Amino acid sequence: MPNIYGANASLIAKVMDLRLERQNLVVSNLANINIPGYKARTLEFESQLQQAVGSQDMRNNLSRTSGKHVPGTFDVAAYQGESLKEFKPRTIYGADAVDMDKEMTAMAKNSLMYNALTTVMKSNFEGIQKIIMDGGK
Amino acid sequence: MDFMTALDVGGSALTAQRTYMNVISMNLANARTTRTADGQGPYQRKSVALESTRVTPFGKAMDQALGQELQGVRVTGVVNDNRPPKQVYEPGHPDADQNGYVSYPDINVVEEMTNMIQATRSYEAETSTINTIKAMYNKALEMGR
Repeated sequence: MPNIYGANASLIAKVMDLRLERQNLVVSNLANINIPGYKARTLEFESQLQQAVGSQDMRNNLSRTSGKHVPGTFDVAAYQGESLKEFKPRTIYGADAVDMDKEMTAMAKNSLMYNALTTVMKSNFEGIQKIIMDGGK
Repeated sequence: MDFMTALDVGGSALTAQRTYMNVISMNLANARTTRTADGQGPYQRKSVALESTRVTPFGKAMDQALGQELQGVRVTGVVNDNRPPKQVYEPGHPDADQNGYVSYPDINVVEEMTNMIQATRSYEAETSTINTIKAMYNKALEMGR
């Protein structure tokens, strides 16, 4: 999928969406902290997403039997955003009630990752802008 | 999937905790009230009943499989705590009965303060989630700059 925004742009967008959804769940958990019988919910997507991305390229699925072997790489040329449509994140219902420490930590981690992703996207755009602005000179 | 859902959920929790605070402060203010406005005996301790709700109105519009997991919170009502009043021997009190006993509401200041701290902490946690959402929103806006 040749794309001027970089091959990973749609993947980043998807992950940002999922991180936002996770943030929403944290807000929801904390809102219901005093409700008896409310079960905390978490959103799981990392490992599944890894699989969805990994299945793009067979080289990723090769096992390395020695440290000297060339590691499999994520083939950006073969990557297609469309296949992510099949990917479904899972919402897991926690067995215990809402733990504020856990929720706050999840939130901090989540927002840091989100902000990191925006930085990546931003630098992508800046690169394109640089080509447009300086390329004509 | 949008930012406003998180703000709706957070806002619902802020409202609920604030209502709880109001009720706690009402309990503390009336800790020694022996006669209520309707003339019926001593003040009765109040408590707040909370309930999880579907997120509205954005949640409805964005009714997706993922969005359905989100639950806001709502105050279903302020309920009376039916614990019996404390009987204190005070013959000079205008509300004393024929034996000289006055019925005071059974309000434990420590209990109320504990509830208050809990409500404050929940409120703070909720404001911090809202601030985080706002920071994320700003970061997303920055991308286009």
